[in-house]
Amino acid sequence: MIKVRIPTPLRSMTGGKGEVESTGGTIQELIDNLDSSHPGLKDRLCDERGEVRRFINIYVNEEDIRFLTGKHTPLKDGDEVSIVPAIAGGSL
Amino acid sequence: MLAIPTAILEAMVAHARELDPHECCGILAGMNGYVQEHYRITNILATLTDRELARFDQAKLSDLQRLPPEQRADIAFQMDAREMARAQQDIRAKGLQLQAFYHSHTSSPARPSQTDITIAMEFENFREKLHLPEPLHIIISLEHKTSPDIRAYRIQNFQATEVRLQSL
Repeated sequence: MIKVRIPTPLRSMTGGKGEVESTGGTIQELIDNLDSSHPGLKDRLCDERGEVRRFINIYVNEEDIRFLTGKHTPLKDGDEVSIVPAIAGGSL
Repeated sequence: MLAIPTAILEAMVAHARELDPHECCGILAGMNGYVQEHYRITNILATLTDRELARFDQAKLSDLQRLPPEQRADIAFQMDAREMARAQQDIRAKGLQLQAFYHSHTSSPARPSQTDITIAMEFENFREKLHLPEPLHIIISLEHKTSPDIRAYRIQNFQATEVRLQSL
């Protein structure tokens, strides 16, 4: 199993949970499996071309997948995946 | 305390002025409270779709959606995640550490908004697990255009505490 850390804005899709478990041999498979158990999650993470949205970083353990092999990054049992929205804010 | 070379402080103010009335954003890196590197990060807020804006809470989302997209970056910022990741990789390659995130408030004081605090706390949820050092949050206020105000804050437990900035 792979532990997936979910950021606060997406927890409405995981029943409020900050961590869920799923499976997948790659990040892409993991996202597809997450979307099966939490419909709509893939759309929040990926654009229409299936690429990770420009304000989201996905880490496998401590490494950003953009410096591994992106959505094809392989996963193994026990890996921890963190979905981390980039910093935002402002005067609003 | 956070020590920042004058040249970097000037570059941060120049960044804020160049983008005014839009908010700018960026990253400072260094070691042990001494800043050595400055990374401008693109504020991609104006390019986000309504669905992508969903990370802002409902009340703020309405404020953003009332504005045409080209004006939304006047009151908010969203860092480009790819540039942020590239900066983090460069920081690591140089043997440095993240010291602070910065952004500008173009017409309000150099104090974190509730949104700044909420999103900083979201990042805190992950930071330790990713073994990143605790960043300070710096705000450059251009409320008084000829005398920019730059202040740094530590944001913990949904409270912002000002931290002294020293120019070197």
